[in-house]
Amino acid sequence: MKTFEYTIKDELGIHARPAGMLAKTAKNYESEITITKGEKSVVCTKLMALMGLGVKCGDTVTVTVNGADEDAAEAGIKAFLEENL
Amino acid sequence: MKDKIFGVLQRVGRSFMLPIALLPVAGLLLGIGSSFTNPTTLETYGLTGIITEGGLLYTILDIMSKTGNAVFDNLALLFAMGVAIGMAKKEKEVAALSGAISYLIMNTAISALITAKGGVEAMAANTTTTTLGITTLQMGVFGGIIVGLGVAALHNRFYKIQLPQVLSFFGGTRFVPIVCSIVYLVVGVGMFYIWPVVQYGIAQLGQLVLESGYAGTWIYGIIERALIPFGLHHVFYMPFWQTELGGSLMIDGTLVQGAQNIFFAELASKTTEQFSVSATRFMSGKFPFMIFGLPAAAFAMYRTARPEKKKLVGGLLLSAALTSMLTGITEPLEFTFLFVAPIMYAVHCVLAGLSYMLMHIFNVGVGMTFSGGAIDLTLFGILQGNGKTNWIWIVIIGLVYAVVYYFVFYFMIKKFNYKTPGREADDEETKLYTRKDMEARKNAKTADGGFDRVSALILKGLGGAANISDIDCCATRLRITVKNSELVDDAPLKESGASGVIHKGNGIQVIYGPQVSVVKSHLEDFLDSGLADKIDELLDGNTQAAAAEQKTANKAESGTLYAHLTGKVVPLEQVEDEAFSAKVLGDGIAIEPTQGKLYAPCDGKVDMVFDTKHAVNLVSSTGCEILLHVGIDTVKLDGKFFEAHVSDGDNIKKGDLLISFDIDGIKNAGYKVTTPMIICNTDDYKSIKKTADGSISAGEKIIEIE
Repeated sequence: MKTFEYTIKDELGIHARPAGMLAKTAKNYESEITITKGEKSVVCTKLMALMGLGVKCGDTVTVTVNGADEDAAEAGIKAFLEENL
Repeated sequence: MKDKIFGVLQRVGRSFMLPIALLPVAGLLLGIGSSFTNPTTLETYGLTGIITEGGLLYTILDIMSKTGNAVFDNLALLFAMGVAIGMAKKEKEVAALSGAISYLIMNTAISALITAKGGVEAMAANTTTTTLGITTLQMGVFGGIIVGLGVAALHNRFYKIQLPQVLSFFGGTRFVPIVCSIVYLVVGVGMFYIWPVVQYGIAQLGQLVLESGYAGTWIYGIIERALIPFGLHHVFYMPFWQTELGGSLMIDGTLVQGAQNIFFAELASKTTEQFSVSATRFMSGKFPFMIFGLPAAAFAMYRTARPEKKKLVGGLLLSAALTSMLTGITEPLEFTFLFVAPIMYAVHCVLAGLSYMLMHIFNVGVGMTFSGGAIDLTLFGILQGNGKTNWIWIVIIGLVYAVVYYFVFYFMIKKFNYKTPGREADDEETKLYTRKDMEARKNAKTADGGFDRVSALILKGLGGAANISDIDCCATRLRITVKNSELVDDAPLKESGASGVIHKGNGIQVIYGPQVSVVKSHLEDFLDSGLADKIDELLDGNTQAAAAEQKTANKAESGTLYAHLTGKVVPLEQVEDEAFSAKVLGDGIAIEPTQGKLYAPCDGKVDMVFDTKHAVNLVSSTGCEILLHVGIDTVKLDGKFFEAHVSDGDNIKKGDLLISFDIDGIKNAGYKVTTPMIICNTDDYKSIKKTADGSISAGEKIIEIE
C-alpha cells in the first residue's frame, strides 16, 4: 500500500471535468485508489463520489494506492494531479 | 532431481564454451613463446646466438608468451564472467559486470585477511597467488566458477526486484551487482578459512603418493588430473616439481631438490647419462595422453557429432586437439566434456594416471617446462636421444593410448548419449527453447492470472513487436528505437502508466520514473513470451472480459430518464467541452435550454449540490448516478446567476425543480448554457440510448438505459 499527500493548486478544485479525468486515470490501474479529504474517503474511480468530496483549492487530500500495480498507479496519479490540479 | 542436476550441468558446460574458445589461441602463444624464451632450452640447443634477450626474435616470442599467459593467469576471471553470462537467463551483460566485480571483491576480501594474518609468509607454501594484482589464495579456475555460478543464481533471482519508491533507482538490474558484491565479500571471508583446509588435505595426499612406488605414481597421475577443474593441481604437483618431496639429488656437486629442478640440472649437466626416472615420473606421464590420447578423444567426439554439426564443431575440436598435442595445454579439450560427461572425465583421470605409471615402469625420463606437448617432447626427449630418455616408449604407449581413448570415448558417447559438442540435437535445442519459452510465458503472466497488461499496452503503443529495433532504459525513461515512428501511438503508452512520451525521429522515450528498469525487464520477458503477436486480441479480450465481469457484478436496473430542461436536444458529442463530448465523465445527453429551470429527470435522491450551484449530482432510485451540469465552464461564475432549490440528501421526485438560473445573465457573462446530463456510472450499463431529438419539453422521455 502506498500513500501520498497532495495539496490542490487549481483554483476551482476538483470539479466535474478534472474529477472525470481523474476517475478515468484511476481506471487504468488495477490497484484500488482512494482519495481522502478530512474524514471522508472515496474510491477514485467513482466519479460521483469523487465530485461529492467537494475538494477545493488549497485542500490537502491523501491518496492511497493499494494493489498489484501500485507503483505505476502512484506515479500515474501523482503525475496527473501535478499536471491538472 | 537427477535430471535437474544433469540439466544444470549441461548448461554449465555450455556456459564454459565462451571462455574455452579463447584457450587454444592463448595456449599456442604461450606454448611456443615460453618454450623458446626458456634460458635452459636456448642454452641446451645452442640457440643463444639466434634468440638473444632483447633481440627482435626474442621480444616477439616474449610477447607471444606473455599475452598467452595473460589469458591463463586471468582464466578465473574469464570463467567468473563467462559462466555468469552463460547461466544468466536475461540481461546477461549485467551478470557479466556482476561476475567481474564479485570476483574482485571475493579476492580482495581474502587478500585483506591474508595481510591481517601476517602476509604471504604466514600462509602455507604454494597456497597463494597473485591475480589482477591482488594477493589471494590459489583457487584456480574453481574460484571463477563459484563466482560465476553464484552470481548467475543471484542475478536470476533479483534482476527484476522492485524496491520501495525511494530506493527504486537501485531496483531491477541495478540491484544485482550490489547484492553480488555483498554476498561475495562474505564468500571471500569464508573461503579464507575453508580453502586452506582443502589445500592442506591435498598436500597430505602428496605424502601418500611418495610412499607407494608405482601405485603411488598412478595415484599421483589420477589426482593431478582430477584436481584440474578445481584449480587445485598446482597445490598438489608443485611440491613434487619444486621441493624435496619430488626427490633430492647431487648433480655436479650441487644438491638439487624437486623433480623439475633435477631434470633441468641434469639437462644442463654434461655428465648425465640417463635422466633420473625417480624425478621424471612426475612429468613424463603427461606425454602419451596429451599428444595421443586426448586428440584421439577429440576425434571420437568429432565422429559422434551429428553430420550437419560436424563442420561447426570440427573447428573447435581440431584447434583444441592441436593445442593439447603441441603445447600440452589440455583444458580446452577437457572442459568440452568435463561437465556434459563427468564420468568420462573420471575415466580420463584413471587412464592419465596409468600413463604416469607406465612411463615410470618403462623408465622414461623426459621432463618438461610446464606441460607435456610435442614441443617439450621434441626438446627434452627426442633431441636428447633415446639412450638418455627412452622417449620411444612415449610414442609406443601413446599410439596405444590413441586407440584406447578413441574407442573408450566413442563407445561411452554412443552408449550414454553424452551431449558432447555437436550432439545437442536440434530437437533438443527446440525442446530447451520451448521450456524457456514456457518460463517466459509464465513470467509474463501477472498475479491476476491474466497477462502483462502494461507490457502489452507498451507494445501496442510502439506499433507492435515488429516495429521495435532496440530497447534500452536510463534512470527514468524507456528508450526505444523504432523502425517506423509513425506507428507509435501515445495513448496506449500513457495508459500503461507512462507520464510522458518524447519523440525524436525514430527514437522514442517513454517516461516511467525510477521503476523503469523493472518495466523494461517485464517488457523484454513479454517480447520473448510469444504473446507479443497477440496483443490486440489480449487487450480486447481483457477489456471485454473485465467489462463483462463488471456487468454481472454491478448490474444496475434498467430505467428511463426524462428531459431535465425544456429546449433542444444536443447529442453529447456536440457539446463544446471535451470533458463531456469525449465522454470522459460518462455517456449521456445535453439540452440547449430555452427556460432557466432544471428539473429532476427521475425519482431519487440529491447526492450533492455543488457549492457553485451550477451542477447537481443525483442518484436515481434504481441506482443510476447522474450529473446535471448547467452550462459550460460555469464553475467560474461561482454561483452567480444560479439558485438551488434542493440541498444534499433531499429525496426528490421526477419533475421537482432543482436549480433555477438566469440564461441571459450567463450568456452575457460569456458562457454557454448547454446542460449535459451524464450517467456517471456508464460502465454499469450495457447501453444508453437517446430516444428524443430536436425540441423537447421538460419531463418528456429522453434516455433509455439498460
